[in-house]
Amino acid sequence: MISPVKIWRNQKDITKMLGKIGTVIAWTIIRVPPTGFMKQAPYPLALITFDDRTRIMVQIVDCDGSNLEIGTKVRLVVRKTIETTEDGIIPYGIKAKPINKLLS
Amino acid sequence: MDTRIAIIGTGMTHFGELWGVSPRQLASDAVSQAVVDAGLTKKDIQGIFVANMLSGMLGLQGHLGALFAEELGIQVPAYTVEGACASGGLALHTAMMSIASGKYDTVLVLGVEKMTDHSPEEVSSALMGAGSNEERLAGATFPGLYALLAKSHMQKFGTTERHLASVAVKNHFHASLNPKAQFQKSIPIETILKSPLVADPLKLLDCSPVTDGAAAVILQRKKTSTSSHCVEICASQIATDTLGLANRSSLLELRATRYAAHAAYIEAGITPKEIDIVELHDCFTIAEILAIEDCGFTEKGEAGKMIEKGMFTLGSAKRTVVNSSGGLKACGHPVGATGVKQIVELADQLRGRCGKRQVKHAHIGMAHNVGGSGATAVVHIVKSV
Repeated sequence: MISPVKIWRNQKDITKMLGKIGTVIAWTIIRVPPTGFMKQAPYPLALITFDDRTRIMVQIVDCDGSNLEIGTKVRLVVRKTIETTEDGIIPYGIKAKPINKLLS
Repeated sequence: MDTRIAIIGTGMTHFGELWGVSPRQLASDAVSQAVVDAGLTKKDIQGIFVANMLSGMLGLQGHLGALFAEELGIQVPAYTVEGACASGGLALHTAMMSIASGKYDTVLVLGVEKMTDHSPEEVSSALMGAGSNEERLAGATFPGLYALLAKSHMQKFGTTERHLASVAVKNHFHASLNPKAQFQKSIPIETILKSPLVADPLKLLDCSPVTDGAAAVILQRKKTSTSSHCVEICASQIATDTLGLANRSSLLELRATRYAAHAAYIEAGITPKEIDIVELHDCFTIAEILAIEDCGFTEKGEAGKMIEKGMFTLGSAKRTVVNSSGGLKACGHPVGATGVKQIVELADQLRGRCGKRQVKHAHIGMAHNVGGSGATAVVHIVKSV
């Protein structure tokens, strides 16, 4: 059950994060996804760190993992997160896109 | 702790894909064995501490204390203790506190988990209830989180995929000697290395399975006048760390393990060298490597090499045996039951009841139970007196 109230409550944090540039400190490829991510698999999952030393866990988009390594620079973007269920709610959240891809 | 607490009875079901067995039947089976082992009847139980994680999320059934009290036909105090995969160890700690408080003398700790009623992706999603909301929204899974820890360990210390696979080889060998284990065959290292990737670098056979099972122990206050031999719990320590991996101070250790183990050695007045057998939380092969290091059995970064050389294996030269039961990897991991099963294994080993997998002269044992990616760690030390 996706809660629109919970999504709305957490959205203030999304606006703070958008556009931030960070560095990959660890990454893997999720090949066996959980419910809600079945259509997205396989996808990279990474720990990203920022200049202010904070860290977040995100999915990396527009990337199949072949050019990903520790030190890759990424920018935080808005994307759909969990796949929509019967109630029709479309949750958006933060994902990360490798920076060199922004030029293409 | 001034109160002396003995483990007077143990019981566990077979661990595996038990489609035809309900949670009530699992509990009944494990408890009956424990009660018979203790030489008691169910009416002697004064309290029930249930360990379970997924019943509410998957089975829509909460209120397990009342459910199992009903199933056992006793109307005693009963409630669930939950801490993800550390639920079993936490329930044991809670049960010990209930005796130490003076309020109870004889209590039951019952770990039960039913996982195979649902699809793998639903189970995977439910297990992420042990992580942070941020991790769930990122599409993380537990293999994924531990894969991040594995990659960090490999990058810093040169740990290899072969080192990881060696953990699985050892634990499957142990489980082949354990009639209750989910997997009953040794597996060659090449088979493990060739198994499909789940979350790079972790492969299918680096990961503990989805399992149904129940384990039970009966604890009793030991009267100081009794000189009879028994198994006593001489340390029970818990530590917590940040819920998600992102806020950890280091990806190279589970700090909660290090804190809890250190506190347990102090409480028991021993050093790691004196531990004869240890059940470590090997939810993934990398988790056992981290646990061996964080519990102080080797220096940081060294565990992989030592396991590959055959150390910590049953029958190897005098050294602590790790996961004689087969661990989570090969005995199975019914989440809430695991922490209790670890204690069952230790108590049975210390009483010389483990047949082909008996560790000779086992006097002091240790159990290490982790919740999530290391947000909770519970360590118990038991000894035969």
